[in-house]
Amino acid sequence: MISRDLQQKQGTKGHISIRDMSVIFGEREDAFIAVDRVSVDIESGEFLCIVGPSGCGKSTVMNAIAGFEFPTEGTVSLDGIAIEGPGADRGMVFQQPTLFPWKNVRANVAHGPRMHNKSNAEANSIADGLLEMVGLSAFADSRPQTLSGGMQQRTAIARALANTPSVLLMDEPFGALDAQTRLMMQESLLKIWSEIRPTVVFVTHDIDEAIFLADRIIVMSASPGRILREITVDLPRPRAAEMTLDASFVALKRQCMDLIRTESLRAFEQQTR
Amino acid sequence: MPDRRETRRVTAAGRQPKGRMERLNRFVLALSVPLFLGSWEILSRSEIVNVILFPPPSTVGIALVDWLSSGQLLTDFGMSLSRVVVGFVSGASCGILIGVLTGRYVFAANLLGPIFQLLRPIPPIAFVPIVILWFGLGELGKYFLVFWGVFFTVWIAAHLGVQRVDEKLIRAARTLGTPEHRMLREVLLPGSLPYIFVGLRTSVGISFYTLVAAELAGTFAGLAYRIDIAQQNLQMGQMMGGLVMLGVIASAADKLFSVFANRIVWWQ
Repeated sequence: MISRDLQQKQGTKGHISIRDMSVIFGEREDAFIAVDRVSVDIESGEFLCIVGPSGCGKSTVMNAIAGFEFPTEGTVSLDGIAIEGPGADRGMVFQQPTLFPWKNVRANVAHGPRMHNKSNAEANSIADGLLEMVGLSAFADSRPQTLSGGMQQRTAIARALANTPSVLLMDEPFGALDAQTRLMMQESLLKIWSEIRPTVVFVTHDIDEAIFLADRIIVMSASPGRILREITVDLPRPRAAEMTLDASFVALKRQCMDLIRTESLRAFEQQTR
Repeated sequence: MPDRRETRRVTAAGRQPKGRMERLNRFVLALSVPLFLGSWEILSRSEIVNVILFPPPSTVGIALVDWLSSGQLLTDFGMSLSRVVVGFVSGASCGILIGVLTGRYVFAANLLGPIFQLLRPIPPIAFVPIVILWFGLGELGKYFLVFWGVFFTVWIAAHLGVQRVDEKLIRAARTLGTPEHRMLREVLLPGSLPYIFVGLRTSVGISFYTLVAAELAGTFAGLAYRIDIAQQNLQMGQMMGGLVMLGVIASAADKLFSVFANRIVWWQ
Protein backbone atom coordinates (compact mmCIF):
# COMPACT_ATOMS: atom_id res chain seq x y z
CA MET A 1 0.00 0.00 0.00
CA ILE A 2 2.86 2.30 0.88
CA SER A 3 4.53 1.57 -2.42
CA ARG A 4 1.38 2.48 -4.34
CA ASP A 5 1.16 5.77 -2.46
CA LEU A 6 4.77 6.50 -3.27
CA GLN A 7 4.32 5.64 -6.92
CA GLN A 8 1.31 7.90 -7.23
CA LYS A 9 3.16 10.83 -5.75
CA GLN A 10 6.03 10.17 -8.12
CA GLY A 11 3.96 10.93 -11.22
CA THR A 12 6.23 12.41 -13.84
CA LYS A 13 8.56 14.02 -11.36
CA GLY A 14 12.26 13.37 -11.13
CA HIS A 15 13.46 14.61 -14.51
CA ILE A 16 17.07 15.73 -14.17
CA SER A 17 18.61 17.97 -16.76
CA ILE A 18 22.32 18.71 -16.86
CA ARG A 19 23.36 21.27 -19.48
CA ASP A 20 26.98 22.01 -20.43
CA MET A 21 28.04 21.57 -16.86
CA SER A 22 31.67 22.16 -15.92
CA VAL A 23 32.93 21.96 -12.37
CA ILE A 24 36.32 23.50 -11.76
CA PHE A 25 38.02 23.31 -8.38
CA GLY A 26 40.66 25.85 -7.38
CA GLU A 27 41.75 29.01 -9.17
CA ARG A 28 44.09 29.89 -12.04
CA GLU A 29 47.14 27.64 -12.20
CA ASP A 30 45.80 25.41 -9.42
CA ALA A 31 42.54 24.98 -11.26
CA PHE A 32 41.43 21.41 -11.69
CA ILE A 33 38.70 20.57 -14.15
CA ALA A 34 36.71 17.83 -12.43
CA VAL A 35 33.85 17.83 -14.91
CA ASP A 36 34.14 19.20 -18.43
CA ARG A 37 31.01 20.27 -20.33
CA VAL A 38 28.77 17.40 -19.42
CA SER A 39 25.21 17.34 -20.74
CA VAL A 40 22.74 14.64 -19.91
CA ASP A 41 19.01 14.25 -19.46
CA ILE A 42 17.77 11.70 -17.00
CA GLU A 43 14.17 10.72 -17.52
CA SER A 44 11.64 10.41 -14.76
CA GLY A 45 11.80 6.89 -13.33
CA GLU A 46 14.96 5.99 -15.24
CA PHE A 47 17.74 3.93 -13.69
CA LEU A 48 21.00 5.53 -14.77
CA CYS A 49 24.45 4.29 -13.88
CA ILE A 50 27.60 6.36 -14.16
CA VAL A 51 30.81 4.38 -14.51
CA GLY A 52 34.39 5.38 -15.09
CA PRO A 53 37.85 5.23 -13.61
CA SER A 54 38.53 6.95 -10.30
CA GLY A 55 38.92 10.68 -10.68
CA CYS A 56 36.63 10.86 -13.71
CA GLY A 57 34.24 13.21 -11.92
CA LYS A 58 31.37 10.75 -11.56
CA SER A 59 30.94 11.58 -7.89
CA THR A 60 31.16 15.29 -8.70
CA VAL A 61 28.26 14.93 -11.14
CA MET A 62 26.30 13.17 -8.42
CA ASN A 63 27.18 15.82 -5.85
CA ALA A 64 26.02 18.51 -8.24
CA ILE A 65 22.63 16.81 -8.49
CA ALA A 66 22.58 16.40 -4.70
CA GLY A 67 23.36 20.10 -4.27
CA PHE A 68 26.70 19.69 -2.51
CA GLU A 69 28.68 21.07 -5.46
CA PHE A 70 27.72 23.79 -7.87
CA PRO A 71 28.51 23.98 -11.57
CA THR A 72 31.19 26.52 -12.44
CA GLU A 73 29.47 26.73 -15.81
CA GLY A 74 26.22 25.33 -17.13
CA THR A 75 23.16 24.27 -15.19
CA VAL A 76 21.69 21.37 -13.26
CA SER A 77 17.97 21.30 -12.77
CA LEU A 78 15.32 19.01 -11.43
CA ASP A 79 11.90 19.25 -13.10
CA GLY A 80 12.92 22.57 -14.57
CA ILE A 81 14.06 24.16 -11.33
CA ALA A 82 17.77 24.87 -10.83
CA ILE A 83 19.29 22.95 -7.93
CA GLU A 84 20.43 25.31 -5.19
CA GLY A 85 21.33 22.91 -2.39
CA PRO A 86 20.52 19.56 -0.83
CA GLY A 87 16.83 18.82 -0.49
CA ALA A 88 14.43 16.12 0.54
CA ASP A 89 13.28 15.66 -3.07
CA ARG A 90 16.62 13.93 -3.71
CA GLY A 91 17.35 11.07 -1.32
CA MET A 92 20.97 10.00 -1.12
CA VAL A 93 22.75 6.80 -0.14
CA PHE A 94 26.47 7.12 0.50
CA GLN A 95 29.29 4.61 0.14
CA GLN A 96 29.73 4.31 3.89
CA PRO A 97 26.59 3.87 5.91
CA THR A 98 25.84 7.24 7.46
CA LEU A 99 23.19 6.17 9.91
CA PHE A 100 22.88 8.23 13.07
CA PRO A 101 24.47 5.97 15.72
CA TRP A 102 22.36 7.49 18.50
CA LYS A 103 19.07 6.52 16.88
CA ASN A 104 17.71 3.04 16.42
CA VAL A 105 16.90 1.74 12.95
CA ARG A 106 13.28 2.93 12.98
CA ALA A 107 14.21 6.40 14.24
CA ASN A 108 16.85 6.69 11.54
CA VAL A 109 14.30 5.98 8.82
CA ALA A 110 11.73 8.24 10.50
CA HIS A 111 14.19 11.15 10.63
CA GLY A 112 13.26 12.62 7.24
CA PRO A 113 9.47 12.64 7.77
CA ARG A 114 9.98 14.09 11.26
CA MET A 115 12.00 16.93 9.73
CA HIS A 116 8.98 17.62 7.57
CA ASN A 117 6.78 18.13 10.59
CA LYS A 118 5.13 14.75 10.57
CA SER A 119 4.09 13.59 14.01
CA ASN A 120 6.18 10.88 15.60
CA ALA A 121 3.42 8.34 15.08
CA GLU A 122 3.11 9.22 11.40
CA ALA A 123 6.87 9.20 10.88
CA ASN A 124 7.22 5.86 12.63
CA SER A 125 4.48 4.27 10.56
CA ILE A 126 6.19 5.47 7.35
CA ALA A 127 9.44 4.01 8.70
CA ASP A 128 7.84 0.69 9.56
CA GLY A 129 6.36 0.41 6.07
CA LEU A 130 9.75 1.02 4.44
CA LEU A 131 11.55 -1.32 6.81
CA GLU A 132 9.12 -4.01 5.80
CA MET A 133 9.91 -3.32 2.19
CA VAL A 134 13.66 -3.69 2.73
CA GLY A 135 13.10 -6.75 4.92
CA LEU A 136 14.27 -5.26 8.20
CA SER A 137 11.05 -5.14 10.23
CA ALA A 138 12.59 -7.43 12.83
CA PHE A 139 15.44 -4.98 13.37
CA ALA A 140 13.42 -1.78 13.78
CA ASP A 141 14.49 -1.39 17.41
CA SER A 142 18.11 -2.40 16.85
CA ARG A 143 21.04 -0.06 17.06
CA PRO A 144 22.51 0.54 13.60
CA GLN A 145 26.03 -0.46 14.63
CA THR A 146 24.83 -3.94 15.56
CA LEU A 147 23.68 -4.58 11.97
CA SER A 148 25.81 -6.04 9.19
CA GLY A 149 27.11 -3.76 6.43
CA GLY A 150 24.40 -4.90 4.03
CA MET A 151 21.63 -4.34 6.56
CA GLN A 152 23.00 -0.89 7.36
CA GLN A 153 22.87 0.02 3.68
CA ARG A 154 19.32 -1.31 3.39
CA THR A 155 18.40 0.91 6.33
CA ALA A 156 20.10 3.80 4.56
CA ILE A 157 18.05 3.12 1.43
CA ALA A 158 14.84 3.00 3.46
CA ARG A 159 15.84 6.25 5.15
CA ALA A 160 16.53 7.94 1.82
CA LEU A 161 13.11 6.83 0.52
CA ALA A 162 11.20 7.99 3.58
CA ASN A 163 10.73 11.51 2.20
CA THR A 164 9.21 10.05 -0.99
CA PRO A 165 11.97 11.65 -3.07
CA SER A 166 11.53 11.74 -6.83
CA VAL A 167 15.26 11.05 -7.21
CA LEU A 168 17.44 8.50 -5.44
CA LEU A 169 21.18 9.22 -5.62
CA MET A 170 23.50 6.37 -4.85
CA ASP A 171 27.26 6.88 -4.61
CA GLU A 172 28.89 3.43 -4.79
CA PRO A 173 26.51 2.24 -2.08
CA PHE A 174 27.53 -1.42 -2.29
CA GLY A 175 31.25 -0.79 -2.76
CA ALA A 176 32.16 -1.82 0.76
CA LEU A 177 30.12 -5.04 0.78
CA ASP A 178 31.30 -8.57 0.04
CA ALA A 179 30.43 -10.05 -3.36
CA GLN A 180 27.57 -12.25 -2.12
CA THR A 181 25.84 -9.50 -0.13
CA ARG A 182 26.38 -7.16 -3.01
CA LEU A 183 24.44 -9.33 -5.43
CA MET A 184 21.56 -9.66 -2.99
CA MET A 185 21.52 -5.92 -2.47
CA GLN A 186 21.43 -5.30 -6.20
CA GLU A 187 18.47 -7.60 -6.62
CA SER A 188 16.59 -6.07 -3.74
CA LEU A 189 17.35 -2.56 -4.98
CA LEU A 190 15.83 -3.43 -8.36
CA LYS A 191 12.78 -4.80 -6.61
CA ILE A 192 12.35 -1.62 -4.57
CA TRP A 193 12.89 0.52 -7.63
CA SER A 194 10.30 -1.38 -9.66
CA GLU A 195 7.79 -0.91 -6.84
CA ILE A 196 8.12 2.84 -6.39
CA ARG A 197 10.00 3.91 -9.51
CA PRO A 198 12.06 6.91 -8.42
CA THR A 199 14.66 8.22 -10.83
CA VAL A 200 17.89 6.53 -9.76
CA VAL A 201 21.37 7.86 -10.41
CA PHE A 202 23.86 5.22 -9.38
CA VAL A 203 27.62 5.76 -9.39
CA THR A 204 29.86 2.71 -9.48
CA HIS A 205 33.14 1.51 -10.90
CA ASP A 206 31.83 -2.03 -11.20
CA ILE A 207 30.73 -2.69 -14.78
CA ASP A 208 28.78 -5.84 -13.91
CA GLU A 209 26.82 -3.90 -11.34
CA ALA A 210 26.08 -1.11 -13.81
CA ILE A 211 24.84 -3.46 -16.55
CA PHE A 212 22.78 -5.49 -14.10
CA LEU A 213 21.01 -2.45 -12.68
CA ALA A 214 20.78 0.21 -15.33
CA ASP A 215 18.49 1.25 -18.15
CA ARG A 216 21.34 3.34 -19.44
CA ILE A 217 25.03 3.61 -18.59
CA ILE A 218 27.13 6.71 -18.93
CA VAL A 219 30.82 5.96 -19.28
CA MET A 220 33.02 8.83 -18.18
CA SER A 221 36.68 9.50 -18.87
CA ALA A 222 39.23 10.89 -16.48
CA SER A 223 41.00 14.26 -16.44
CA PRO A 224 39.07 16.12 -17.54
CA GLY A 225 35.85 14.32 -16.62
CA ARG A 226 33.82 13.93 -19.78
CA ILE A 227 31.07 11.69 -21.02
CA LEU A 228 32.75 9.17 -23.25
CA ARG A 229 29.77 7.15 -24.34
CA GLU A 230 26.21 6.33 -23.43
CA ILE A 231 25.21 2.70 -23.52
CA THR A 232 21.58 1.65 -23.46
CA VAL A 233 20.99 -1.56 -21.57
CA ASP A 234 17.96 -3.20 -23.15
CA LEU A 235 18.11 -6.39 -21.14
CA PRO A 236 14.64 -7.54 -20.08
CA ARG A 237 13.32 -6.88 -16.61
CA PRO A 238 12.85 -8.17 -13.96
CA ARG A 239 16.48 -9.18 -13.85
CA ALA A 240 17.92 -11.99 -11.79
CA ALA A 241 21.49 -12.81 -10.85
CA GLU A 242 21.73 -15.69 -13.36
CA MET A 243 21.31 -13.17 -16.15
CA THR A 244 24.93 -12.08 -15.72
CA LEU A 245 25.91 -15.28 -17.56
CA ASP A 246 23.72 -14.62 -20.63
CA ALA A 247 25.40 -13.92 -23.96
CA SER A 248 23.72 -10.52 -24.28
CA PHE A 249 24.98 -9.51 -20.86
CA VAL A 250 28.50 -10.66 -21.64
CA ALA A 251 28.47 -8.83 -24.98
CA LEU A 252 27.49 -5.57 -23.28
CA LYS A 253 30.14 -6.11 -20.67
CA ARG A 254 32.80 -6.63 -23.32
CA GLN A 255 31.75 -3.43 -25.05
CA CYS A 256 32.01 -1.44 -21.82
CA MET A 257 35.29 -2.98 -20.80
CA ASP A 258 36.91 -2.26 -24.15
CA LEU A 259 35.81 1.32 -23.89
CA ILE A 260 37.14 1.74 -20.40
CA ARG A 261 40.37 -0.09 -21.13
CA THR A 262 41.12 2.12 -24.14
CA GLU A 263 40.29 5.11 -22.03
CA SER A 264 42.46 4.08 -19.09
CA LEU A 265 45.36 3.37 -21.44
CA ARG A 266 45.00 6.79 -23.00
CA ALA A 267 44.89 8.44 -19.58
CA PHE A 268 47.88 6.42 -18.44
CA GLU A 269 49.91 7.44 -21.49
CA GLN A 270 48.92 11.03 -21.00
CA GLN A 271 50.14 10.95 -17.40
CA THR A 272 53.42 9.24 -18.19
CA ARG A 273 54.24 11.33 -21.22
CA MET B 1 59.57 -36.94 21.63
CA PRO B 2 61.28 -34.01 23.26
CA ASP B 3 59.10 -31.75 21.17
CA ARG B 4 55.91 -33.19 22.52
CA ARG B 5 57.04 -32.87 26.11
CA GLU B 6 57.94 -29.28 25.42
CA THR B 7 54.45 -28.56 24.13
CA ARG B 8 52.81 -30.17 27.11
CA ARG B 9 54.83 -28.15 29.51
CA VAL B 10 53.90 -24.96 27.70
CA THR B 11 50.17 -25.65 27.79
CA ALA B 12 50.33 -26.66 31.43
CA ALA B 13 52.21 -23.53 32.29
CA GLY B 14 49.76 -21.48 30.26
CA ARG B 15 46.63 -22.97 31.77
CA GLN B 16 47.28 -23.57 35.43
CA PRO B 17 48.17 -20.08 36.63
CA LYS B 18 45.11 -18.63 34.92
CA GLY B 19 42.77 -19.58 37.78
CA ARG B 20 45.47 -19.02 40.36
CA MET B 21 46.39 -15.62 38.94
CA GLU B 22 42.78 -14.55 38.95
CA ARG B 23 42.32 -15.53 42.61
CA LEU B 24 45.56 -13.79 43.52
CA ASN B 25 44.49 -10.67 41.66
CA ARG B 26 41.17 -10.55 43.47
CA PHE B 27 42.91 -11.07 46.78
CA VAL B 28 45.28 -8.19 46.09
CA LEU B 29 42.36 -5.99 45.09
CA ALA B 30 40.55 -6.70 48.36
CA LEU B 31 43.76 -6.08 50.27
CA SER B 32 44.48 -2.64 48.84
CA VAL B 33 42.61 -0.47 51.34
CA PRO B 34 43.16 -2.56 54.54
CA LEU B 35 46.87 -2.85 53.77
CA PHE B 36 47.17 0.89 53.39
CA LEU B 37 45.24 1.62 56.60
CA GLY B 38 47.19 -1.04 58.50
CA SER B 39 50.59 0.31 57.47
CA TRP B 40 49.45 3.80 58.34
CA GLU B 41 48.24 2.68 61.77
CA ILE B 42 51.54 0.89 62.48
CA LEU B 43 53.62 3.77 61.18
CA SER B 44 51.81 6.27 63.43
CA ARG B 45 51.76 4.11 66.54
CA SER B 46 55.40 3.03 66.24
CA GLU B 47 56.27 6.69 66.81
CA ILE B 48 58.63 6.78 63.85
CA VAL B 49 56.68 9.90 63.02
CA ASN B 50 55.11 12.43 65.34
CA VAL B 51 51.77 10.87 66.29
CA ILE B 52 50.21 14.28 66.93
CA LEU B 53 50.96 15.54 63.44
CA PHE B 54 50.37 12.16 61.83
CA PRO B 55 47.56 10.49 63.74
CA PRO B 56 46.63 6.86 62.96
CA PRO B 57 43.44 6.05 61.01
CA SER B 58 41.70 4.97 64.20
CA THR B 59 42.03 8.53 65.54
CA VAL B 60 40.80 9.88 62.22
CA GLY B 61 37.86 7.49 62.39
CA ILE B 62 36.93 8.71 65.86
CA ALA B 63 37.16 12.31 64.68
CA LEU B 64 34.85 11.46 61.79
CA VAL B 65 32.30 9.88 64.13
CA ASP B 66 32.43 12.92 66.42
CA TRP B 67 32.02 15.18 63.42
CA LEU B 68 29.00 13.22 62.27
CA SER B 69 27.32 12.98 65.67
CA SER B 70 27.69 16.71 66.25
CA GLY B 71 25.51 17.17 63.16
CA GLN B 72 28.14 19.42 61.70
CA LEU B 73 29.29 16.90 59.08
CA LEU B 74 25.90 16.81 57.39
CA THR B 75 25.77 20.61 57.17
CA ASP B 76 29.31 20.83 55.84
CA PHE B 77 28.66 18.07 53.37
CA GLY B 78 25.41 19.66 52.20
CA MET B 79 26.97 23.08 51.78
CA SER B 80 29.93 21.77 49.81
CA LEU B 81 27.77 19.57 47.64
CA SER B 82 25.32 22.37 46.86
CA ARG B 83 28.20 24.62 45.75
CA VAL B 84 29.59 21.95 43.47
CA VAL B 85 26.19 21.09 42.03
CA VAL B 86 25.07 24.66 41.37
CA GLY B 87 28.45 25.67 39.92
CA PHE B 88 28.80 22.53 37.86
CA VAL B 89 25.30 22.51 36.43
CA SER B 90 25.33 26.20 35.49
CA GLY B 91 28.90 26.06 34.13
CA ALA B 92 28.25 22.89 32.16
CA SER B 93 24.96 24.12 30.64
CA CYS B 94 26.45 27.43 29.54
CA GLY B 95 29.58 25.63 28.30
CA ILE B 96 27.60 23.18 26.16
CA LEU B 97 25.27 25.82 24.77
CA ILE B 98 27.99 28.27 23.81
CA GLY B 99 30.39 25.52 22.71
CA VAL B 100 27.85 24.14 20.25
CA LEU B 101 27.25 27.64 18.87
CA THR B 102 30.94 28.57 18.50
CA GLY B 103 31.68 25.13 17.08
CA ARG B 104 29.06 25.51 14.35
CA TYR B 105 28.93 29.22 13.56
CA VAL B 106 32.03 31.14 12.51
CA PHE B 107 30.32 34.33 13.65
CA ALA B 108 30.04 33.07 17.23
CA ALA B 109 33.53 31.56 17.13
CA ASN B 110 35.06 34.82 15.93
CA LEU B 111 33.15 36.88 18.47
CA LEU B 112 33.83 34.74 21.53
CA GLY B 113 36.72 32.43 20.66
CA PRO B 114 39.67 34.82 21.14
CA ILE B 115 38.46 36.18 24.46
CA PHE B 116 37.61 32.71 25.79
CA GLN B 117 41.04 31.46 24.79
CA LEU B 118 42.56 34.28 26.83
CA LEU B 119 40.38 33.73 29.90
CA ARG B 120 40.48 29.94 29.81
CA PRO B 121 44.07 29.40 31.00
CA ILE B 122 43.70 31.65 34.06
CA PRO B 123 43.54 29.27 37.05
CA PRO B 124 40.16 29.81 38.73
CA ILE B 125 41.95 30.00 42.10
CA ALA B 126 43.55 33.26 40.98
CA PHE B 127 40.09 34.79 41.01
CA VAL B 128 39.58 34.17 44.72
CA PRO B 129 40.73 37.63 45.93
CA ILE B 130 38.57 39.42 43.37
CA VAL B 131 35.60 37.19 44.07
CA ILE B 132 35.76 38.06 47.77
CA LEU B 133 35.57 41.76 46.92
CA TRP B 134 32.77 41.21 44.42
CA PHE B 135 30.59 38.77 46.29
CA GLY B 136 31.85 38.87 49.89
CA LEU B 137 31.74 35.56 51.72
CA GLY B 138 28.30 34.64 50.36
CA GLU B 139 27.36 31.63 48.30
CA LEU B 140 27.33 33.50 45.00
CA GLY B 141 31.10 33.80 45.04
CA LYS B 142 31.50 30.05 45.56
CA TYR B 143 29.13 29.30 42.71
CA PHE B 144 31.03 31.72 40.54
CA LEU B 145 34.41 30.07 41.14
CA VAL B 146 33.14 26.57 40.43
CA PHE B 147 31.26 27.89 37.41
CA TRP B 148 34.43 29.49 36.10
CA GLY B 149 36.43 26.29 36.45
CA VAL B 150 33.78 24.15 34.77
CA PHE B 151 32.61 26.50 32.04
CA PHE B 152 35.78 26.77 29.95
CA THR B 153 36.59 23.08 30.10
CA VAL B 154 33.11 22.14 28.92
CA TRP B 155 33.04 24.93 26.37
CA ILE B 156 36.23 23.82 24.64
CA ALA B 157 35.07 20.18 24.68
CA ALA B 158 31.72 21.06 23.10
CA HIS B 159 33.35 23.43 20.61
CA LEU B 160 35.82 20.81 19.38
CA GLY B 161 33.21 18.06 19.61
CA VAL B 162 30.84 19.85 17.23
CA GLN B 163 33.65 20.47 14.77
CA ARG B 164 34.56 16.80 14.84
CA VAL B 165 31.06 15.53 14.10
CA ASP B 166 31.38 13.30 11.04
CA GLU B 167 30.82 15.49 7.98
CA LYS B 168 29.10 12.55 6.27
CA LEU B 169 26.40 12.51 8.98
CA ILE B 170 25.77 16.21 8.43
CA ARG B 171 25.53 15.66 4.67
CA ALA B 172 23.15 12.78 5.16
CA ALA B 173 21.00 14.93 7.44
CA ARG B 174 20.94 17.69 4.83
CA THR B 175 19.80 15.33 2.07
CA LEU B 176 17.01 14.27 4.42
CA GLY B 177 15.85 17.86 4.55
CA THR B 178 17.00 18.70 8.08
CA PRO B 179 16.65 22.48 8.45
CA GLU B 180 19.67 24.28 9.89
CA HIS B 181 17.95 25.24 13.14
CA ARG B 182 17.14 21.62 13.87
CA MET B 183 20.60 20.42 12.84
CA LEU B 184 21.92 21.52 16.24
CA ARG B 185 19.63 19.36 18.29
CA GLU B 186 19.24 16.48 15.86
CA VAL B 187 22.82 15.95 14.71
CA LEU B 188 25.45 18.30 16.13
CA LEU B 189 24.58 17.94 19.80
CA PRO B 190 24.25 14.14 19.86
CA GLY B 191 27.24 13.83 17.54
CA SER B 192 29.43 15.83 19.89
CA LEU B 193 28.12 14.26 23.11
CA PRO B 194 31.00 11.79 23.42
CA TYR B 195 33.45 14.72 23.44
CA ILE B 196 31.23 16.80 25.70
CA PHE B 197 31.14 14.00 28.25
CA VAL B 198 34.92 13.80 28.35
CA GLY B 199 34.91 17.52 29.16
CA LEU B 200 32.16 17.11 31.74
CA ARG B 201 33.99 14.34 33.51
CA THR B 202 37.19 16.35 33.69
CA SER B 203 35.09 19.18 35.07
CA VAL B 204 33.81 17.07 37.94
CA GLY B 205 37.38 16.98 39.28
CA ILE B 206 37.92 20.65 38.52
CA SER B 207 34.75 21.65 40.35
CA PHE B 208 36.04 19.97 43.52
CA TYR B 209 39.35 21.72 43.56
CA THR B 210 37.83 25.09 42.82
CA LEU B 211 35.43 24.33 45.66
CA VAL B 212 38.34 23.88 48.06
CA ALA B 213 39.89 27.16 46.95
CA ALA B 214 36.55 28.89 47.35
CA GLU B 215 35.97 27.53 50.84
CA LEU B 216 39.49 28.25 52.07
CA ALA B 217 38.96 31.86 51.04
CA GLY B 218 36.32 32.21 53.70
CA THR B 219 32.88 30.87 54.45
CA PHE B 220 30.85 29.54 57.38
CA ALA B 221 30.43 25.85 56.54
CA GLY B 222 31.80 23.26 54.18
CA LEU B 223 34.22 20.32 54.06
CA ALA B 224 37.31 22.32 53.12
CA TYR B 225 36.30 25.09 55.51
CA ARG B 226 36.21 22.50 58.32
CA ILE B 227 39.76 21.43 57.46
CA ASP B 228 40.84 25.04 57.70
CA ILE B 229 39.18 25.52 61.10
CA ALA B 230 40.63 22.24 62.42
CA GLN B 231 44.08 23.44 61.46
CA GLN B 232 43.69 26.49 63.64
CA ASN B 233 42.84 24.21 66.59
CA LEU B 234 45.50 21.63 65.67
CA GLN B 235 42.79 18.94 65.37
CA MET B 236 44.80 16.61 63.15
CA GLY B 237 42.18 13.87 63.19
CA GLN B 238 39.51 16.28 62.07
CA MET B 239 41.72 17.65 59.30
CA MET B 240 42.44 14.22 57.93
CA GLY B 241 38.80 13.29 58.31
CA GLY B 242 38.01 16.26 56.10
CA LEU B 243 40.43 14.99 53.48
CA VAL B 244 38.84 11.55 53.64
CA MET B 245 35.39 13.07 53.11
CA LEU B 246 36.59 15.09 50.12
CA GLY B 247 38.18 11.96 48.66
CA VAL B 248 35.03 9.90 49.17
CA ILE B 249 32.62 12.46 47.75
CA ALA B 250 34.81 13.37 44.75
CA SER B 251 35.46 9.78 43.74
CA ALA B 252 31.79 8.87 44.27
CA ALA B 253 30.82 11.80 42.04
CA ASP B 254 33.25 10.65 39.37
CA LYS B 255 31.99 7.08 39.53
CA LEU B 256 28.36 8.16 39.42
CA PHE B 257 29.17 10.39 36.50
CA SER B 258 30.80 7.68 34.44
CA VAL B 259 27.78 5.40 34.93
CA PHE B 260 25.51 8.27 33.92
CA ALA B 261 27.69 9.05 30.89
CA ASN B 262 27.63 5.46 29.67
CA ARG B 263 23.85 5.54 29.77
CA ILE B 264 23.48 8.77 27.88
CA VAL B 265 26.18 8.13 25.29
CA TRP B 266 25.13 4.51 24.92
CA TRP B 267 26.18 4.21 21.28
CA GLN B 268 29.86 4.67 22.05
